[in-house]
Amino acid sequence: MGEQLLSVGIDIGTSTTQLILSRLTLENRATPFTVPRVSISRREVLYRSAIHMTPLLSDTVIDAQGVGAIVAEEYDKSGFDKSQVDTGAVIITGETARKENAREVLSALSQFAGDFVVATAGPDLESILAARGAGADQYSREHHTTVLHFDIGGGTSNLALYRNGELVSTGCLDVGGRLIKLDGAGQVTYVSPVFARAGCAAPAVGETVTPERLAPMIQTMVEALEQAAGLRPGQDRLKAFLTQGTRWRAETVPVVSFSGGVADCMRHPPEQWLAYGDIGVLLGKAIASSSAFRQVKQFQGAETIRATVVGAGSHATDLSGSTIFYREIAFPLKNLPILKLSAQEEEGTAEELSRAIRDKLNWYNDEGGLTQLALALRGDSNPNYDRIRQVACGVAEGLRPLREAGLVPVVAVEADQAKVLGQALAPLLPGPLLCLDGVGMDNGDYLDIGTPVAGGSVLPVVIKTLAFHK
Amino acid sequence: MNEQELRSMVERMVLELAGQEPGKAAAAVTQAPVESSSGCLEDITQTDLRRQYLVEQPRNGGAFQALKLKTPARLGLGRAGARYRTLSMLRMRADHAAAQDSVFSHVPDEFAVQHGFTPVQTLCQSKDEYLTRPDRGRRFDEQNQAVIKKTLGQNPKIALVVGDGLSSAAIEANAVDCLKAVQGGLKAYGLEGGPVLYVKYCRVGASDHIGDLTGAEVVCMLVGERPGLVTAESMSAYLTYQPHIGIPESKRTVISNIHKGGTTAVEAGAHIAELIKTMLDKKASGIDLKG
Repeated sequence: MGEQLLSVGIDIGTSTTQLILSRLTLENRATPFTVPRVSISRREVLYRSAIHMTPLLSDTVIDAQGVGAIVAEEYDKSGFDKSQVDTGAVIITGETARKENAREVLSALSQFAGDFVVATAGPDLESILAARGAGADQYSREHHTTVLHFDIGGGTSNLALYRNGELVSTGCLDVGGRLIKLDGAGQVTYVSPVFARAGCAAPAVGETVTPERLAPMIQTMVEALEQAAGLRPGQDRLKAFLTQGTRWRAETVPVVSFSGGVADCMRHPPEQWLAYGDIGVLLGKAIASSSAFRQVKQFQGAETIRATVVGAGSHATDLSGSTIFYREIAFPLKNLPILKLSAQEEEGTAEELSRAIRDKLNWYNDEGGLTQLALALRGDSNPNYDRIRQVACGVAEGLRPLREAGLVPVVAVEADQAKVLGQALAPLLPGPLLCLDGVGMDNGDYLDIGTPVAGGSVLPVVIKTLAFHK
Repeated sequence: MNEQELRSMVERMVLELAGQEPGKAAAAVTQAPVESSSGCLEDITQTDLRRQYLVEQPRNGGAFQALKLKTPARLGLGRAGARYRTLSMLRMRADHAAAQDSVFSHVPDEFAVQHGFTPVQTLCQSKDEYLTRPDRGRRFDEQNQAVIKKTLGQNPKIALVVGDGLSSAAIEANAVDCLKAVQGGLKAYGLEGGPVLYVKYCRVGASDHIGDLTGAEVVCMLVGERPGLVTAESMSAYLTYQPHIGIPESKRTVISNIHKGGTTAVEAGAHIAELIKTMLDKKASGIDLKG
C-alpha cells in the first residue's frame, strides 16, 4: 500500500531546541482475505535540524518569537513546507516546561507547524518519547530484557523502565547539565535552586570554580542516578534529586542506556570542560567513569541528544485499529481528556453503565458546561452481539448529556470491537459519532485524533500520557 | 489397558533394555499421573498452545515464550530423542481428531429453526456425497429452489445465507453473533438484511445458484472453513455482487479467519456490513472492488 505520513517533531528543552522531520510508512499487514490490519511499518528520519540554544527572555519566560523563528528557518532549510506535514508533536521538556508561558508557546507553535501536530509537555511523556527515540523499548523487546533508559538533558533526567518492550514506569530527577552555568573563565553565572532543595552544597553565583571544586557535587548527582538504577544502596541521593511531585521505585536493572546532551559528553566529551558553559561535560564524564554503571550492560541508543525530538517526530503518532466507525466528524480532534470506567463498572447492565458514565461526566462539568472528552472502555475479548447491544445502549444513554451539549460522542475501546459497537451506537445517537479501538488509555491521559488515512480505514492517534500509573 | 499401565510397561521395558533392575529406578522416573479426584485425565486440548513451552533447560525460555505468543505454530515442544514428546504427539492427534469431527458432524437440525433461519438443502443427500461431490453442493433441487424464491423474493438487495460448509463447529460458534452484527450494521447504514437462508451441505458456489434464482444484488454467505489444526471453529464470509452460475471466483470478496482467536464474530460482522454497503455503492465485488 505504501501510504506515507510526514511527521514533525519539535523539542523545546531547557538548553536546546530542535526539529526533525520523519516519514512514517503505513502498511496493511493482513492478507487480502482477512479484515485489514494497518500499522506503521517504517519510521525514518528525513531531516535533522541544527541544535539551537533555546531562546529565553528571562529565567522564567520563553522567547516565543525566537522559537518561532528557529522553526521557520529549519522548515526552510529542510525543503518541506508546513502544509505538507500530516502529524507530529511539539514538546516542551525539562525545566522549560515550568516556565510561565510554556502553554502559550506550545499552542502558538502547534498551529504554526501543521494541522495535526499536537502540543504537549510533561515529564512522563518526555521519558517515553526519549526512550523510544533512542530505541530502548525496541532493545528490551528484541533482547527480552529490562532496560532503564536515562535521558539526561539540561535541567532534568527522564527515566523510563521498559521490560520486554512494555513500559513499566517513568520517573524524573532534577539532574542535568545546565543546572549550573558558567562563563568562559569558570565564573558561575547561574545556580539552579535544585541544589538548595536537595541539600547539596553548590557554589554561589559569582564564584570562580574548577572541575575539582565541582567534583563532589557532580558525584552526588551521579549517585542519585545510580540509586535510581538500583546499582547503589540507599535512597538518600535519589530522594534528594527526585523532581517534585514525581515518584520512582528503584529496582536493579540488567541494562541501562543513556540519551540527551549529557550522553554525548559521556562518549565524546569535548576537550574543554567549559565548552558549553555548563557542567554537562563534567557530568557526562562522571557518569562514564561510574563503576556502578559499569557493572551492568550499557546499550548505546541510536540517538543521543536528539532522542526526544526523534521520539516526538517518529514515535508520538500511532494508529488506531483498522476496523472503526465514524460519522460526520470534523477531524482533527485535539486534547480530549479520557473518561475511563473501572473494569467492574464496565461489566454492568445497560442502566448501570449509563449511570456510571453520567456520574463521571460530572468531573468534566465546569462553569462552562461539559467539555469534549473521550470515553475509554476495555471491552471483552470475544463478546457476543447481545452484549455489544447492551453496552451500546448504556453508552448511548450515558453520553446523551454530551450530545445535548453539542459535543461529539467519542468512544475508544481497547479490544477490537469499535466497528460493531459504533454501528450499534449509530441508530441510538444520531449525528456525529466516533468509535475507535486499539488504544489503551487511562484516566488522566489525553487523546488527539487525526484525519483518517489508508483509505479512511485508520486514524492516526497520539496518546498523551500525563499521569502514568500502570 | 489404561495409559498408566501402558506407561509403566514401557518404562519396565526401557529399563530392562538399559540393563537396570525395573523396580528400583522406576520409582525415580515415574511422574505422578495427572489425575483429578473424579478419576479423569486432564483434557490436553484445553491447554493454550501459545503458552505451552516444553523445552528443558532453555537458554532463554522467557524470550521464546514471548515469541510463541505471536503464533499458533507448534514450536518449542522439546523432544524425546529424535521425536516429539508424548504430550505433543497426543495433542496433535487430538486436534486432528477435532478437525475431522467438525467436518463429519452435522449442525443440529434445530439450529436453523431456533434462530429463525429458513432451512434448505443442496442436491447432496449425505455427508459422504457432500464431501465427494462438490458440484452437487452448489445446486438445489426444484423443491428447494421454490423455498429459496419464496423466502428471498425477487431482486432483493441483500441475501444473507448461512452454510454449514466443512465445519459445523464454526457455524455453531460464530454464525449467529456474526449475523446479528451484520444485520445491526446494515441498519446503521439504512439497509435491511431480510430473511436468512440456512443451507445444509453447502459449498460457496451455492451463492451463484441463489443469485440466479432470486436476482439478489449481493449474496453474503457465512460458511464453515475447512478445519485446520489451529482451530476447528474458523468461519469465512464470501460476498459476491450479482452472483450467477459461471461467475469467476475472482469476483468474490472473502473475509476468512473469523473465530475467537482471529477476527471476532461481531467485529467481522460489522466489517461485513460495511463491505455490503460498499459493494452496493460501487456495484462490484472481488478484485473489481480493489481498484
